[in-house]
Amino acid sequence: MKFSLLKKSLGFTASLFISSAALLAQDSGPLIDLLVKKGVVSDQEAEVLRVELQKDFAVNSSAGKLNLSSSLSEFKLSGDIRMRHQIETQAPSTATGSSVVTNERVRERFRFRFNGDVLLQKGWGAGFALETGQAADSGNQTFGGAAGSGSGNDDYSIFLARAYVSYNPNLNWSFSAGKFKQPLYTTDLVWDADINPQGLTETYKYFIGAKDTFEIRALQNIMEDRNEATAGLLGRDAWLFAQQAVYTHYFGKDLLNSVILAPGFSKYNQANIGFAANENTFNGATRGLSLMTFAGEVNFANVNGAGTAFKLYWDSAINNDADVRVNEVYGLSATRWKSDRSAWLAGVGYSYGTGKVQGDYSAKLDYRSIGLGSLDVNTSDSDFAFGFLNQAGYKLALSYNVTDFTNFNVTYFHTSDIQKNLTYTLAARDHTQLLQLDLVVKF
Amino acid sequence: MKKISLLLAALALVSTASAQKLVIKGSDTLGAKLVPTLAEEYKAKNPGVSFEIAAEGSTTGIAAIIDGTAQIGMSSRRAKTTEVSAAQAKGVTMNPTIVAYDGIAIIVNANSPVKNLTKRQVEQIFAGDITDWSAVGGPAGKISIYTRNTSSGTYSDFKDLAMKKRDYAASSQKMAGNEQITAEVGKNPNGIGYVGLAYIHDAGIKVVSIEGLIPDKASVLSKKYPYARPTFYYTNGEATGEAAKFIEFTLSDEGQKIAEKIGFVSIR
Repeated sequence: MKFSLLKKSLGFTASLFISSAALLAQDSGPLIDLLVKKGVVSDQEAEVLRVELQKDFAVNSSAGKLNLSSSLSEFKLSGDIRMRHQIETQAPSTATGSSVVTNERVRERFRFRFNGDVLLQKGWGAGFALETGQAADSGNQTFGGAAGSGSGNDDYSIFLARAYVSYNPNLNWSFSAGKFKQPLYTTDLVWDADINPQGLTETYKYFIGAKDTFEIRALQNIMEDRNEATAGLLGRDAWLFAQQAVYTHYFGKDLLNSVILAPGFSKYNQANIGFAANENTFNGATRGLSLMTFAGEVNFANVNGAGTAFKLYWDSAINNDADVRVNEVYGLSATRWKSDRSAWLAGVGYSYGTGKVQGDYSAKLDYRSIGLGSLDVNTSDSDFAFGFLNQAGYKLALSYNVTDFTNFNVTYFHTSDIQKNLTYTLAARDHTQLLQLDLVVKF
Repeated sequence: MKKISLLLAALALVSTASAQKLVIKGSDTLGAKLVPTLAEEYKAKNPGVSFEIAAEGSTTGIAAIIDGTAQIGMSSRRAKTTEVSAAQAKGVTMNPTIVAYDGIAIIVNANSPVKNLTKRQVEQIFAGDITDWSAVGGPAGKISIYTRNTSSGTYSDFKDLAMKKRDYAASSQKMAGNEQITAEVGKNPNGIGYVGLAYIHDAGIKVVSIEGLIPDKASVLSKKYPYARPTFYYTNGEATGEAAKFIEFTLSDEGQKIAEKIGFVSIR
């Protein structure tokens, strides 16, 4: 068995393959089969060639050195690094209405996120995300302010922001357990986009022809684990249960336009939260929060030529138990303060492209009002009024793709109080402003 | 001094005997019938040679070459890129030699009225999309699927060749070898399985054609039969010594006649 001559005779053919072995080792099977079929090489020569290509692939390509489980259908790694220049203005409320002291602060911040999402066979999946911040509503770190030390050139910690297992047995059903991306259709009025809830989630999607879909989404979000050995509320785990129906209707040319209507309901069990670490945290009894929500949007595609889109969007929440929340949980006087049960948001957006190609841009402007007894500060956006209740104002967000993978974003918030002279901890702002200038590189 | 000489002589004998032992591991398709028969013929011509043959699946044969625990690894499938890479990392050069051609035959119980299946139907049956014989022209009855186990080259080859790399039905039963599959299908009127050509004459079974083609010499050599494949010996680089001689014997006219007699298709 002397294959050395055979190998030499294959040299020319092999060199054609091996010149780009990383590519060909994966794709050359059909080509080799064709060479055999055409009689250019024999079966035996083809087998030697296959192994040569495999060896070359293993040695000369980084992909060839990865040994991934055969159960993987897809393993996606992604992430982003954001550099932020932030200018903050916060004016605390005063009980007397005397002149407010404005606190101003400038911070240079950054955020690193690294995500791994795995598609396994038979509908199973899993994933994780790492990020620089521990608070649920922020992955940011402030330069020169590393947690626990806060000076010099100290290093920063990495936290696990997501770890989940998913199961999608068919197109209709999907289930996830762990700490996962927010599964509800919502805006940052009710749910800060940085928050990855933990617990269980289920979605059922029903396709009604080509133009309509109807979904039921549910979330069982464990907010805090407590030791049941302790009697009463302090020993009871805190759960938030959210349910939502999402109806989507596609219309217009090529069905590019859409309407989304998403009513929902969420409620806590009777428990206690003691260790949340959000921007503006509420630690205390979870009672007094029964939210009826209604979010949606209307999208018009190609309104000003291909690639442009215009949209109207809204969100709202009414807390049916606002009186209990404000008077009993927050302890505020019913005669002095309105419980103000509603929060709402209305906005318009215009975009060119999908935000993934150089030159794409988008602009969004919304106005929102967050009543004193309307929302849970542990879930609502921590940037709008720094997470304080009893604030109304607007948010302007501009984004431009400097390259396909780099965005420059400008976000500005301006808010002022709804009920004046309220100094309760969760609502103690007269007015606020926040300007964020971001450079985001995605990979 | 005399004792030491005797001891050395005994050690020399032992070492000579072990040098003549050829360890062959791997594919059940090759190792259950063909290679033992070849080994018997080879031993008849070379009385000093002994064989240790373990037919526990192609994966074990390729692993044995990588680990250096066999001189020849039998395989009914090609080495995977990860295996070639693992071998490379250990300084082992995987060297394939085509032994003979084979066709993976689809077998059903001899009493089944089903005579032909399409490639799509085969995929659907083994993936579990079709679960009743009535869907493919047979009498009503739940299909019992018999496959090889996961260390088998035929198990992975069949997924590639017949199932578009899909998973086997959860209800499929995994058998250790071809003979176990023919035995189960022979007993079960609703059974279906696949075996190498060397096993298609076992009792109680029959081969169904695939889109009109039966796996035979002509359809396998021309590669028209959709589940045709080569079978391999793997060695670490060029085989040497007794292994090289045995491979040469396998590829000789005599060796190939034995392969044909067993049921394989000769490489000539």
